[in-house]
Amino acid sequence: MSEASASALPPGRPRRQPFAHPESLSLESDFCSSPVNFLQELPSYRSIARKRTNIPSRDKQSGTLLKPTDSYTSQREGEIAENLNSQSIRKYALNISEKRRLREIQETQMKYLSEWDQWKRYSSKSWTRFLEKAREMTTHLELWREDIRSIGGKFGTGIQSYFSFLRFLVLLNLVIFLIIFMLVLLPKLLTEYKVTNSSFVLIPAKDIDIQCTVYPISSSGLIYFYSYIIDLLSGTGFLEETCLFYGHYTIDGVKFQNFTYDLPLAYLLSTIAYLALSLLWIVKRSVEGFKINLIRSEEHFQSYCNKIFAGWDFCITSQSMADLKHGSLRYELRADLEEERIRQKIAERTSQETIRIYSLRLFLNCIVLAVLAACFYAIYRATIFSQEHMKKEIDKMIFGENLLILYLPSIVITLANFITPVIFARIIHYEDYSPGFEIRLTILRCVFMRLATICVLVFTLGSKITSCDNNSCELCGYNQKLYPCWETQVGQEMYKLMIFDFIIILAGTLFVDFPRKLLGTYCSSWKLMQCWGQQEFAIPDNVLGIVYGQTICWIGAFFSPLLPAIATVKFIIIFYVKEVSLLHTCRPSPRQFRASNSNFFFLLVLLIGLCLAVIPLTISMAHIPSSKACGPFTNSNTTWEVVPKTVSTFPSSLQSLVYGVTSEAFAVPFFMIICLVMFYFIALAGAHKRVVVQLREQLSLESRDKRYLIQKLTEAQRDMRN
Amino acid sequence: MGQCLRYQMHWEDLEEYQALTFLTRNEILSIHDTFLKLCPPGKSYKEATLTTDQVSALPALRANPFRDRICRVFSHNNVFSFEDVLGMASVFSEQACPSLKIEYAFRIYDFNENGFIDEEDLQRIVLRLLNSDDVSEDLLTDLTTHVLNESDLDNDNMLSFSEFEHAMNKAPDFMNSFQIHFWGC
Repeated sequence: MSEASASALPPGRPRRQPFAHPESLSLESDFCSSPVNFLQELPSYRSIARKRTNIPSRDKQSGTLLKPTDSYTSQREGEIAENLNSQSIRKYALNISEKRRLREIQETQMKYLSEWDQWKRYSSKSWTRFLEKAREMTTHLELWREDIRSIGGKFGTGIQSYFSFLRFLVLLNLVIFLIIFMLVLLPKLLTEYKVTNSSFVLIPAKDIDIQCTVYPISSSGLIYFYSYIIDLLSGTGFLEETCLFYGHYTIDGVKFQNFTYDLPLAYLLSTIAYLALSLLWIVKRSVEGFKINLIRSEEHFQSYCNKIFAGWDFCITSQSMADLKHGSLRYELRADLEEERIRQKIAERTSQETIRIYSLRLFLNCIVLAVLAACFYAIYRATIFSQEHMKKEIDKMIFGENLLILYLPSIVITLANFITPVIFARIIHYEDYSPGFEIRLTILRCVFMRLATICVLVFTLGSKITSCDNNSCELCGYNQKLYPCWETQVGQEMYKLMIFDFIIILAGTLFVDFPRKLLGTYCSSWKLMQCWGQQEFAIPDNVLGIVYGQTICWIGAFFSPLLPAIATVKFIIIFYVKEVSLLHTCRPSPRQFRASNSNFFFLLVLLIGLCLAVIPLTISMAHIPSSKACGPFTNSNTTWEVVPKTVSTFPSSLQSLVYGVTSEAFAVPFFMIICLVMFYFIALAGAHKRVVVQLREQLSLESRDKRYLIQKLTEAQRDMRN
Repeated sequence: MGQCLRYQMHWEDLEEYQALTFLTRNEILSIHDTFLKLCPPGKSYKEATLTTDQVSALPALRANPFRDRICRVFSHNNVFSFEDVLGMASVFSEQACPSLKIEYAFRIYDFNENGFIDEEDLQRIVLRLLNSDDVSEDLLTDLTTHVLNESDLDNDNMLSFSEFEHAMNKAPDFMNSFQIHFWGC
């Protein structure tokens, strides 16, 4: 057994030695315990034990401990005073009466300190107490605290982390909306409703063809009732001119009493601000999980120590949940050992087998890419079809057909997202990976698929916007006949995606989850109904759903400033719907995600979504000319051009500084310095790793010496006794 | 179930307990309520004691596979005074510092109380966690070997406190799982 496990050790680790062979020690009965007794007498053990509990010496009365004139006691009290200063009393591992005594000692000691020290100690204590009260207050303000805790108690920490992730997204969207509101909406609303004495600044466009500024307002004449519904669901008609979309903000500035507020610059800065804020917040939240992964020196992701010592959730109160946890621990530990065996088997493959496996994997990855390409092409065709037929008159179509055409891209995306996970799950069986890696790779493929579909949609729109009849749009830079105000139309597509996603999630819960549960309870005689009706909360699918919604919100917030507010309301409703669905239709899964694993996975997926959202935004801001008929950027060529224009209004020294920082003469040396710093840290980390390995070897050698000496000592004691 | 004298906690006592433990005011008061419900009649909460059976039957501990060890570590002479219960709740509270939790976790997991977590302790921990009748010897030895490979730095087949502390500082789930929020009954 030890041979097999020793071969699994990373190279350089000393082999595990069996403890002192019983035959080499005496045959006396108490011999197995005496090495441990010896170890407990060692000074190192005792000083660590003393540090842990730090009980002051018990052989003096509490009154006489304190006289500073006594030289011996003053030295000891000096130590205690230092220790008392550095830790608060609560952190001691003592029971309350001993802590009370310590506190009394501490307080009497204070009398012997100078006035300055006394005041310092007192003020630091009041400051910590104030901080604690503030922290206690803020935990009361935490949204949905009790709900999430009770979910965790009933269904485990994996599902609990899904709901805290949902709460995080609600807060993120709320903050994004606040940024957009303060920077863009507020000045406009203040001026529109005449709250402040300000006016709009409208600079007429120059050097632009008059055809580019034509923006035909759509509806007129007879309006049917269902056109209102269609407008509400697709953002056209009466919604198109509201502050929901980009086209409403056709203002070049707001003139207050003392200054002119540059609205185009504020609009651009709000976009950059919310993207930067999202990135920083996600990275901050994921740093904890990532830090721990960095410290780990083992190859695999989860350590056995973590699973065994921190495996049991101490806050479980019900016996049924405890049984489930026992079951899930059994499954998990067995699966880990199984995975270890499979990995060993993989390491022992012959080269012929390796070549066969790798060529099979290459072939299957090509199939995966082909599937992805097919889905992307389907979305491309659906978008083009939808865009071309959207311009037909409403009254020439029947109600359902119009809605179908408007929502065709969303429908195709949703269908693709249902089918591809099944295909991926089938394919990965043949690729012969270890089970844990299989799960992770499937999830990553589904994530990429789901998020890339939005990008494909946006790129299709982009290609349609920049392609005119004669293949190059010289007049305005974009296709102004079909898309006089293209940002609004992209915003409408994002709005439709969001609404459709919301409807699908609600419909899925109402029309799939609840009937399944009802069938499972009432038709429980049928075996099929019984196993199909018992459903579990599928964490990866649900997380992908909300990350998909968040990516749409990030892309769409530039084109439709109110979209984050809609997203906030949507996520709040989804929280309650999912909570009700979880509590009433799902049973806890026998295989549970770990909280630390889940948190890292959720934030990683969200980060991938953010990166994929930034790409279309940068391209549309920097390359596609902004529409001249609507929006705040009618006076600049592209959206980004507002920044150079603003920089040119700075004083000349600041201007030259900015130009210097963004020029190549600065960027290339800066990049080289960053590379050097990175190399330095990598080399440092490598050196530290080597030192750690050497120290570990030394520790085990020292321990062998210690055991040898203890053995000799016990033999000598035995000889003395005989 | 008889009740103690309905002795309201004095404000100074509440302040003192808040200063000496990691519990919030509401948590201390709820533990006080629970204690009053369970303790024998005729005594004030400061003198009454609870048996380990009573504490093991609390919802917070009744499903816990380590409840006997928890009761043994936190009780004095096999009974719980009010301050013992407060001390226990303080260690398991959300605000407790990691060093305190690690200290008491070590004491709880050291089944044979020899100051080290050795293979025998590890096997007992695994058996308690799995709670099943058919655990093979191979599985047990495999798991204990893996745990020792990861955290036993000086290769003596036991975990000393420093090694345990080092392992728990690296474990991401420890702080979250070693918490009990609700002490009602």
